[in-house]
Amino acid sequence: MSDAWRCSRATWLPLVFLLAGGREFPLQAQDHLQSIRASGVLRWGADAEGGAPYVYPDPQQPERLIGFECDLADALAAKLGVKAKMVQNEWDQLIPALERGNFDIILNGLEITPENQQHISMSLPYYVYAQQIVTRKGTEHLVSLTELKGRRVGVLSGSVAQRLIEGEGGADLRIYPGNVEALRDLKAERLDAALLDLPIAIHYARPDPALKFSGTAFAPGYYGIGARKQDITLLAALNQAIGELSQEQVLERIYRKYGLWDERQAALEDYRPAAVAAQKPISTLHEWPRYLPLLLRGAVVTVELSVLGMALAVVAGLVVVLVRLYAGAPLSGLAQAYVEVMRGTPLLIQLFLIYYGLPEIGIRLNPFFAGILGLGLNYAASEAENYRAGIQSIPRGQTEAALALGMGRWQTLRHVVLPQALRVVIPPVTNDFIAMFKDSSIVSVITMVELTKVYGMLAMSTYDYIGLGLMTAGIYFALSYPASIFAGRLEKKLSYDHR
Amino acid sequence: MITVEGFGQSANLGKVEPRPMITVEGLAKSYNSTPVLRGIDHQQRQGEAVVLIGPSGCGKSTFLRCLNRLEEPDAGRITIGRVCVEAGQREGDGEQHRRQQELRLQAGMVFQSFNLFPHLTALQNISLGPTVVKGLPRPQAEELGRQLLAKVGLETKADFHPGQLSGGQQQRVAIARALAMEPQVMLFDEPTSALDPELRDEVLRVMRQLAEEGLTMIVVTHEMQFARDMADRVLFFDSGRVAESGPPDEIFSNPQNERTREFLKKVTTR
Repeated sequence: MSDAWRCSRATWLPLVFLLAGGREFPLQAQDHLQSIRASGVLRWGADAEGGAPYVYPDPQQPERLIGFECDLADALAAKLGVKAKMVQNEWDQLIPALERGNFDIILNGLEITPENQQHISMSLPYYVYAQQIVTRKGTEHLVSLTELKGRRVGVLSGSVAQRLIEGEGGADLRIYPGNVEALRDLKAERLDAALLDLPIAIHYARPDPALKFSGTAFAPGYYGIGARKQDITLLAALNQAIGELSQEQVLERIYRKYGLWDERQAALEDYRPAAVAAQKPISTLHEWPRYLPLLLRGAVVTVELSVLGMALAVVAGLVVVLVRLYAGAPLSGLAQAYVEVMRGTPLLIQLFLIYYGLPEIGIRLNPFFAGILGLGLNYAASEAENYRAGIQSIPRGQTEAALALGMGRWQTLRHVVLPQALRVVIPPVTNDFIAMFKDSSIVSVITMVELTKVYGMLAMSTYDYIGLGLMTAGIYFALSYPASIFAGRLEKKLSYDHR
Repeated sequence: MITVEGFGQSANLGKVEPRPMITVEGLAKSYNSTPVLRGIDHQQRQGEAVVLIGPSGCGKSTFLRCLNRLEEPDAGRITIGRVCVEAGQREGDGEQHRRQQELRLQAGMVFQSFNLFPHLTALQNISLGPTVVKGLPRPQAEELGRQLLAKVGLETKADFHPGQLSGGQQQRVAIARALAMEPQVMLFDEPTSALDPELRDEVLRVMRQLAEEGLTMIVVTHEMQFARDMADRVLFFDSGRVAESGPPDEIFSNPQNERTREFLKKVTTR
């Protein structure tokens, strides 16, 4: 289990891969063990973003990666007679990336589960993990899954913890792109508890004076190495290496170094691979009555976010442009600075600042309002620029004619300039509205489950990227196309050049 | 009640020492240290129609635009009716701003390129000023607008947008729009220059009618025949100065100034 910032961007990448040739594209027929030995490098896929204690940048020396899986990868590679090389990849996209051939193995807290074994082979286990509930100091005991019912519980997207809570039901589940964010929100009192893999809890939560372990860890499971199904000799070599490392107590030494050794690891010996029944591949298109409603529920959130976000942007943008064009020197400079800063910095960072940064100064917004605020304030800059272009496209003679009639500045704007500019700005503003429909997917990084997030979650569990992708794209189109038709009608209606 | 024929009583009322309607003293204006107006003095009695002629770039349009403060003069004093504004004070000054608005209400402006509001109908173009600036109730403003449209011969075009009207019709609407504010003075800035020759007459006819009704007006134009027929006085502008002025007969038949002679020769042989 890795702790990573997983952006929704990651969820459309596989679709691009598919369109560019599909999963079959780079697969060589023969076993990779030979080519690994020939090249002398074992490439292991993992996510180092917030990935402690698995693999993460050394705080003292950030260009160097450390972590128990780093040490393990080196030890394994040594057994194979090669060097280990880490390949960075979004955690929830490790399996598709392995199948594409981006690296040779996955070594990153991947659980040995029937779901994971549908598409790849898993090695013998190298670590026994368990789930730990973490709460704030001073909160009542929430020591089991049943006691989490009715509570706000944070989990990592796509994790075993998420599946456990969903299976138990009844909790107010909040899904995070990374465990660090979940713990942050726990401290900010936006959550009652977080459920996470024990190694992460040990690394991040145990040293934190504001947090505490609630009850003992439960629901143990195994981490294993993932390999492509056809790499049979590679898998055998890895299994042999793991066995040797365990017997030579190299594993114990590594885990002790990171404070991760516990009595559960004795269970490594008891592991017996279970026969995994091959599941029938799911075609979500054929079973659309099951999947479409889930996607539509996400679409409702997308519509709410973008309609409210755009409403804010349209109004705030007008204020910004009026201040910029007509207010005095210090204010208009401020408005211009606002536009430049909002345009010149990523929406993602702005969202993080609003959602995770503002609580530090006492402003705690829920994800929905933080999302609307982030989208609205970001797009306000763009709308202000649209308006400015529209206002400045109105000939000077119009203003002069109004002034000559004795109108004041505001009257001139209100009755002469803005009504004409309105028609000019409808196309670019519509364009932005449609863009926001799609951009709104970015708020999944602050735990909003909207259309793209639902797609990503379903695709991860069904592996039907095409079917779900087509349905999701269809919904986006069905939402945005009427918007552009409506804008076209409005533009025609406001047109006064009937010649 | 609103009357349309209220602009300055007819000319013959002012036979006894008419007080000047317009007084300009020492008006000067430069663009980037290039002088455009070099100290202009001008007096005009009520009901007088004055035509400005002169080569392009001589400053006649700038003079007109300074009169209603579309341009800020560098120096000088402008009095129209009872409102006097002096150059130099910035627009940010509240009192100055108020007087500038008042000055604009004294003077109606007609532009070379009409500058009608394209999003409004002919009638709305005319009634907008009275409703917004004077707070006239809409029904009354529209009644006034219809009377003015009838005056310029366009009563049937009330609900047309400017884009649906010919250039001559647009300019007549623009004149009606300026008249709706019931100004003391009308300023015409080359009102027929953007029009095809066959459309000029309808505009000139309206202007002639206004002059006959005794409206005080200043017209910048290249229509020499119009100047000859209609003007009480012609001012010849050259290099930011009034080079020569007098009744049209004198100026056109017997110009004293060498530059005037050259200019008239050019425009009449064209």
